[in-house]
Amino acid sequence: MDTLQYLADGFSVAFQWHNLLFALVGVIIGTAVGVLPGIGPMSGVALLIPVTATITSGMPTSAAAASSIILLAGVYYGAMYGGSTTSILLNTPGESSSVVTTLDGYQMAQQGRAGAALAISAIGSFCAGIVALIGLILLAEPLSNVAVKFGPAEYFSLMLLGLAAVSGLAGKSMTKALIMTVLGLMLGTIGIDAVSGIARFTYDQPILYSGLEFLTVAVGLFALGEVFKTILEKDDETGAIAKIHRIMPTKQDMKDSALPIARGSLLGFFIGVLPGAGATLASFFSYMTEKKFSKNPETFGKGNIAGVAGPESANNAASGGAMIPLLTLGIPGSGTTAILMGALIMYNIQPGPLLFDEHPEVAWGLIASMLIGNLMLLVLNMPLVRVFAKIIETPKKYLLPLIVAISFFGVYAVQYTTFDLFLLLGCGVLGYLLSKNDYPVAPLVLALVLGPMIENNMRRALTISNGEFSIFFTKPLSLVFIIAAVAWLLVPLLLKLRGRKVIINEEG
Amino acid sequence: MNKKFDQFAGVAFLLVGILFLVESQKISDSAYGSSVGPKIFPMWLGIILIALSIRLLYETFKIKSEESKKEKLQYKKFLIIFVSAVLYAFFLEKIGYVASTFLFLLIAFQTMERRKIISSLLISAFFAFGVYYLFSELLGGSLPGFPLV
Repeated sequence: MDTLQYLADGFSVAFQWHNLLFALVGVIIGTAVGVLPGIGPMSGVALLIPVTATITSGMPTSAAAASSIILLAGVYYGAMYGGSTTSILLNTPGESSSVVTTLDGYQMAQQGRAGAALAISAIGSFCAGIVALIGLILLAEPLSNVAVKFGPAEYFSLMLLGLAAVSGLAGKSMTKALIMTVLGLMLGTIGIDAVSGIARFTYDQPILYSGLEFLTVAVGLFALGEVFKTILEKDDETGAIAKIHRIMPTKQDMKDSALPIARGSLLGFFIGVLPGAGATLASFFSYMTEKKFSKNPETFGKGNIAGVAGPESANNAASGGAMIPLLTLGIPGSGTTAILMGALIMYNIQPGPLLFDEHPEVAWGLIASMLIGNLMLLVLNMPLVRVFAKIIETPKKYLLPLIVAISFFGVYAVQYTTFDLFLLLGCGVLGYLLSKNDYPVAPLVLALVLGPMIENNMRRALTISNGEFSIFFTKPLSLVFIIAAVAWLLVPLLLKLRGRKVIINEEG
Repeated sequence: MNKKFDQFAGVAFLLVGILFLVESQKISDSAYGSSVGPKIFPMWLGIILIALSIRLLYETFKIKSEESKKEKLQYKKFLIIFVSAVLYAFFLEKIGYVASTFLFLLIAFQTMERRKIISSLLISAFFAFGVYYLFSELLGGSLPGFPLV
């Protein structure tokens, strides 16, 4: 069994003491990020990229990339655990994928069952994480074997599909989402063209030759945008935090949530694999499914534990599932995975089918560390739930300026120019204005990461076909991707025309 | 949703699209004579953005202006922090990391809440020195140190 051998190698990477430490730090920070309202997984991961980049700077590239991605992925799925805490205790979701958890979770807390709700969401998240990982392990090899056969035309169409999927589901207006996508692609063309070596849109400014740094843009748009929003819109002080009495769920609770957890995990995983449909959508669907399956649907919204267990498992499974297109195809399906991909590219490691051959220690090390990380989260979350709940009380007056300072440090430590600091501030203002007016910023970041790859593959394909655009439609796989991309954009539009309410994905 | 912002943004995106279309024509064709030079991609992006922003403008004119909620925004706080962040970026290399970070944090903390000056001082100093020491001394990174000393 090749896969088992690779997995064993992966574990030997993940069990190196510094990688264990990285995973631990990642999941702790991730939980904190999930708990703190205002910082979502996306800004959390973006903020930590520069920090991990400096910590790992002394290591060989491949090992450094493995360690960084272990930490960053830990933040990503750790945030899924943490997000439920505020939903249950405060009725305010820490991030968008925990919105439905508030429905029954807060009710449970009101009835004095906060501990059980928290515990069941931790257990559910753990099971889901494991299901997603098994899926990842099973699908990774076959998928990347298929993807190896892709030519530039297939890649171009596949990336178009990725962009279309994210734009089609993001935000309230598809026009706005598409504008953001195109804008991201445009920003990606700034700098020296990789194929011909010609400077584009640089206007003789040497600082622009290497292009706009994706990290600066992402941190600015997400982290600073969020900070500026919180400073400008002083929100009302949050209400009282529900008390946690007893943490262990009762036998009846466990019995009631076993099936919802199983269903939520599977559902979440498959939704996560689809590009564009992220954790938020997964948790939403899971809630609806549970309500349908339940013998007494009227108890939903009044503290039914299945309404916590299902969605919480689903959002965690989705975050694991989202790693599949990223690792095997090199196509991030969401804002956060786009940022993870940007981090890998910073280390000169290209996610995609060749990742498993060229850098098995990165791919399998990450997979193995996710298993360990999920276990850590379960162990940490059960006894420490009270401690994490305390993080909610961190005063904003200290938190917000510190986030600005951390992003300054991060960007400067990687880029060494004050130009990037000004760019960072500019992106922060832009990020605030855009997301306030329903322009989703996740597609922009995704497009910025994918832009150069899309362009290169397009030009390579066109060079093969002597400039005939028909190459994208005559290759069968490429045609399938393009049809899927068009469908992804048209179907929601058609549904809207027929007056249906379309569920949108506000997470990145 | 803010109709004014959308109209403004629509015009701005339209201009960006036109700019991209025009400027992409100035990019020289690639030397090796392939038919797909470096200007094709930006040119098409420009065209698509123009089309999309026209659609956005059309959408905003179609929507009847809705009641606009007046929110109280804390412009003063934001401006103070934003300006001090700009100054922070400007002075970072001139007066060094520790001094600029300390000053920025102190001003920002006090802007958020004008109380507890002692804890503001302590946290700012701790963060500025801590990051500098950890990063420059322990990890061997480079940050602008103390140019004035």
